[in-house]
Amino acid sequence: MISRRITLSNVKCTHCQLEFDESVMIKEEPSLHFCCNGCQGVYHLLKEDGLDDFYDKMRNATIAPPIESSNDSSNFDLESFKARYIKTDADGFSRVDLVIEGIHCAACVWLNEKILHQTEGVLEASINFSNNKAKIVWDEEVIPLSQIIEKIRSIGYNAYPYDYNEVSQQAVESKRDYITRVGVAIFGTMNIMMIDVAKYAGFFSGMDTNILHMIHIVEFIFSTMVLFYSGWVFFKGAYYGLKNKIINMDLLVSGGATITYIYSLTILFGAKGHSYFDSVSMIIMFVLVGKYLEVLGKKSAMDSMDKMKSQIPLEATVVENGVKKVVMLDQIKVGDIIEVKNGEKASVDGQSIVDVSTFDESSLSGESLPVEKRKGDVVFSGTINTGTVMRYEATKNYANSTLSTMMNLLEDSLASKPKIEEVTNELSKYFSLTIIVLAILTYVGWYFFSGDFEKSLIITISVIVIACPCALALATPIASLVGISWATEKGLLFKEAKFIETFAQATTVVVDKTGTITEGDLTVRSQSAKLDSDTLNLLYSLVEASTHPVSRSIRNYISGSVEDIKILELEKIEQLSSQGVQAFYQGKKLLGGNAKLMETQGILVKESDHTVYHFAIDGVLLSSFELEDSIKEDVEALVNYFKSIDVEMVMATGDHANVANRVAKEAGIEKVYAEMSPIDKAEYISKLKEEGKRVVMVGDGINDTLALSKADIAIAMGSGADVALAVSDVVILNNSLKGIKDSFIISRRTYKFIKQNLMLSLVYNVVTIPLAMAGYVMPLVAALSMSLSSLMVVGNSMRIKQKD
Amino acid sequence: MNDVLELELIVGFIISFTLIGIFVASAKKGNFDDQKKLMDGMLFDSPNDLQAAAEKERKQEAMRAKKQANK
Repeated sequence: MISRRITLSNVKCTHCQLEFDESVMIKEEPSLHFCCNGCQGVYHLLKEDGLDDFYDKMRNATIAPPIESSNDSSNFDLESFKARYIKTDADGFSRVDLVIEGIHCAACVWLNEKILHQTEGVLEASINFSNNKAKIVWDEEVIPLSQIIEKIRSIGYNAYPYDYNEVSQQAVESKRDYITRVGVAIFGTMNIMMIDVAKYAGFFSGMDTNILHMIHIVEFIFSTMVLFYSGWVFFKGAYYGLKNKIINMDLLVSGGATITYIYSLTILFGAKGHSYFDSVSMIIMFVLVGKYLEVLGKKSAMDSMDKMKSQIPLEATVVENGVKKVVMLDQIKVGDIIEVKNGEKASVDGQSIVDVSTFDESSLSGESLPVEKRKGDVVFSGTINTGTVMRYEATKNYANSTLSTMMNLLEDSLASKPKIEEVTNELSKYFSLTIIVLAILTYVGWYFFSGDFEKSLIITISVIVIACPCALALATPIASLVGISWATEKGLLFKEAKFIETFAQATTVVVDKTGTITEGDLTVRSQSAKLDSDTLNLLYSLVEASTHPVSRSIRNYISGSVEDIKILELEKIEQLSSQGVQAFYQGKKLLGGNAKLMETQGILVKESDHTVYHFAIDGVLLSSFELEDSIKEDVEALVNYFKSIDVEMVMATGDHANVANRVAKEAGIEKVYAEMSPIDKAEYISKLKEEGKRVVMVGDGINDTLALSKADIAIAMGSGADVALAVSDVVILNNSLKGIKDSFIISRRTYKFIKQNLMLSLVYNVVTIPLAMAGYVMPLVAALSMSLSSLMVVGNSMRIKQKD
Repeated sequence: MNDVLELELIVGFIISFTLIGIFVASAKKGNFDDQKKLMDGMLFDSPNDLQAAAEKERKQEAMRAKKQANK
């Protein structure tokens, strides 16, 4: 008998730096402690290769223990794989793009690049830290790709290929283009601002006209660079807008900046007055930075999508006349018999041809427990075989299978997600057109009235400068910025400012159950009978032998409630698929599992709406544990809040109706839809939108991704799947339901201030434009009042946070 | 006075435009694709890393030369 006291020690693994249970410690020298064989192996490998610098570079970071991969790396050398993923350059070197799994910190990047550079035959290995993508260039005559992948796996990471398609290439190039344009804009504006210090000092204390002229020349050079290089995107946008008969913000920004630039040019060439080259570059720089952030957001969504795509199996084992062969997914035909090993993903949809098997369908349905599949049951692509080796017949090819369909739908949603038309854009369409017409009328009127070209031009410029849409352009973004920074303080991440507006107009909130309304972890709710310490030791040893989530919950429950637990050496431990575990101890037969297992052994148990774990010895039921996924604390407050603001709350879940109804009843949610597939959820959201409702969807799993992408506003909880976070508009980092309520409060208040700002800027224009047209405002005063109107909008926006 | 200012401006322009030119060229080449790595890279510099980078260059040159010779 082995007797160990279960305590959590403070021992840190020498390799991964994670704290671990002393009972599983592998000790070498006095100072070397490893949590598993994987960490021990990687530590020695790095030491042998002279790469132990890695631990210094890690500093306080931790990494996950090495990933155990069951994939056969020889598949990377298949001809069909090469045809799809490997490219050959002009020099004859091969190139592949991979996603590296397990990268956590800069030291991980350093280690992977280093070990690959040390590998004979590898010419280049470059890993992008932001998205974990690696570009590997190597000589295939020296080393096959499978060995390079093995090298990555040997140090505890894993690699998957991904298609470096045209869309990804465009996203990278677009980001590079914006970096250069933003960099140049910041550089130009900063230089102008430095020179402006001298100019404004001279304005008050007097300045030689030659020096002032020189300053104007310098400002002219920098602002020309900023306007025509950095601001080129706005000219392009304005051109395409006009081509499609749309007057957009790009036209206002480029138009406003160009007119200010032309006016400043007249000053440079001798006209009296002040130049506004600084305003030109500042308008361009501020708006461009906003655009760049938008590009970054889009690129990060694409990176997450690539990560998800890279986890699609590359190939499948097809059995033909008793002979197994590995084929690429697109070569699978309907009717092929496919073999799936334990831990492997089903590659296409099909029908089981074996008596019984189990699959983890959590990636599709959100169902946390493995699902039993009997002969004739449908096996979905993307689900993981959690039982022994099984075979099934393909009923669909890869392109029509669930996983591929979901990917395509998601890609479409990301590409065609309707942009919410901003209130300012709607207004500015008419506003800028009106200003252009008024400016022309002013010029024509004054020229005929006075016959003075210069005076007419000066008054026209005053009209354009005073009406420059700065306040209007600022009205929405500055209020949104304050709202977003307030939201960030509360752990809410709005990916784009414009989501605030739609959020504020939401009429319906659809929430997922697991992980959103409930905690997502099974906990023991009740125990039918208390067990003595010897029986508890037996039960603990039995659940210790299983990795099933229910066994894990029972184990946590016992270790959390009892201090001294002994692990006993059980014999003939047998995992009974989808039912439980059976084992023997000193001749006694131990059984732990669900009602089905007890029934097969002739033990009678009560029925229940909950998940129940029964424990029996020698055919006698000793205790039953009722488990539940507990409801989050703040659900009730959220439900009451929605009722108070007249927003409808609906729960849509893939779980069984009994469980869903019980959770909804406890939470106080009146409308429930259960047993919904990801596609059902997405269709439901689309239906709500067709009814004219503004829908907010809250979810966290990959199974919610499709529905999230269909909603007007998608909220993902911070602990959710990468791809769910990618398609979401708002991320709740602290995973709390209070975050949803806060999002509503913040967005509603911010939206109110956006409307106020728009009203303020419009009133300003209504008052000042007639004055300018009448010739009462000189360009300098026009520029000053334009700045004041912007300040007014900024000042008003600051009030958003005053009431918390 | 004006001559000195003009000279200063010309020198200033040459330096600043050279720098902005280097920035644009490096951004186009992809040096700023991974800003996170760029920032951390500064902390990672050590004589060993420089030595490794030089060895990497030598290895790449040798591999390219060998490939050309095989062609």
